Amino acid sequence: MFNLSEEEIERYSRHIILPEVGGGGQQKLKQSSVLVIGAGGLGSPALLYLTAAGVGRIGVIEDDVVDLTNLQRQVLHATPDVGKAKAKSASETMQRLNPHVEIDIHQHRLTKNNIFDIIESYDVIVDGVDNFPTRYLLNDACVMKNKTLVEGGILRFMGLIMSIRGGDTACYRCVFEEPPPPGTVPSCAEAGVLGAVAGVVGTLQATEVLKILTGIGKPLYNRLLQFDAEELRFHEVKAKRNPGCPVCGKKPSITELVEYDYACETQAPKP
Amino acid sequence: MLKTRNDRTRPRLGLNLSVQGKKQAYSGPPDVRSLLEALGENSTYVNVRINGEVLDRRDFEKISLHEGDRIDFLYFMGGGIV
Repeated sequence: MFNLSEEEIERYSRHIILPEVGGGGQQKLKQSSVLVIGAGGLGSPALLYLTAAGVGRIGVIEDDVVDLTNLQRQVLHATPDVGKAKAKSASETMQRLNPHVEIDIHQHRLTKNNIFDIIESYDVIVDGVDNFPTRYLLNDACVMKNKTLVEGGILRFMGLIMSIRGGDTACYRCVFEEPPPPGTVPSCAEAGVLGAVAGVVGTLQATEVLKILTGIGKPLYNRLLQFDAEELRFHEVKAKRNPGCPVCGKKPSITELVEYDYACETQAPKP
Repeated sequence: MLKTRNDRTRPRLGLNLSVQGKKQAYSGPPDVRSLLEALGENSTYVNVRINGEVLDRRDFEKISLHEGDRIDFLYFMGGGIV
């Protein structure tokens, strides 16, 4: 039922020739579904590689519009797309790259009211969000629904990657318990980001997804990988499930989803 | 003040630490906040782990450093809007 056509076998031949992937692994990718939150700096490379790799169904959540300042790193979009909805621009690029991929577009923001319904039908979720409130919401939802999440973050010349099997391996809150107070961590808009750093991190996220879907190698579970482009160094930090974690610990204080305020809240609002 | 391992001017009372996987001699005040300052790290957007344990960010001044401590900085990287 998920047999590959002649054209697909040729298209994916450099995958299929890898003994670790083979025809079976390529069929697994075709049967899989991945949701990428954000079609920006991280989402662009992640979506391009997942599309090229032949993941059967790819969801994109994005409600923003392509801006000229995005084009320095958001490689899904091109100059004629400025002013266009990013979701539309992303889907056009992906469709051109690989028409075998089914693309679901979700043109709205993730909220505590819609997140469970949206993530439910996907095998793996990729975090390419541009803010802390959604990052924590996504982590908590994936822990509560035992979903696999591939985290990524970038700032200036640095990047971070971590894979999470919700409810099983260390989650984002096990390491970063609460969001930093608003205004303390500069945004990419304020502090800048080297465009290619987004490419490195988003591509590593796609690599993790492809490994997880095909069962190849060891995912970055219980490990946090930090990338420093200035020194060109990777630094791995072991992360353990934190028994005191507010969402996946022994006595979680967060049992319902919380949405942090974008403006000036420092404490989690009541669920 | 950071000194390299081979720096002959290193005070005898300095600590040998492992910071981000690199050996580093440190001779400033032996608390986490001072180390962050000496290394030019902004304590508002970095979490710190010593020997595998994540510290409470409010306690950086109170937590003292010891010879041989393994220190990791975990940076908050959120993307766009905060």
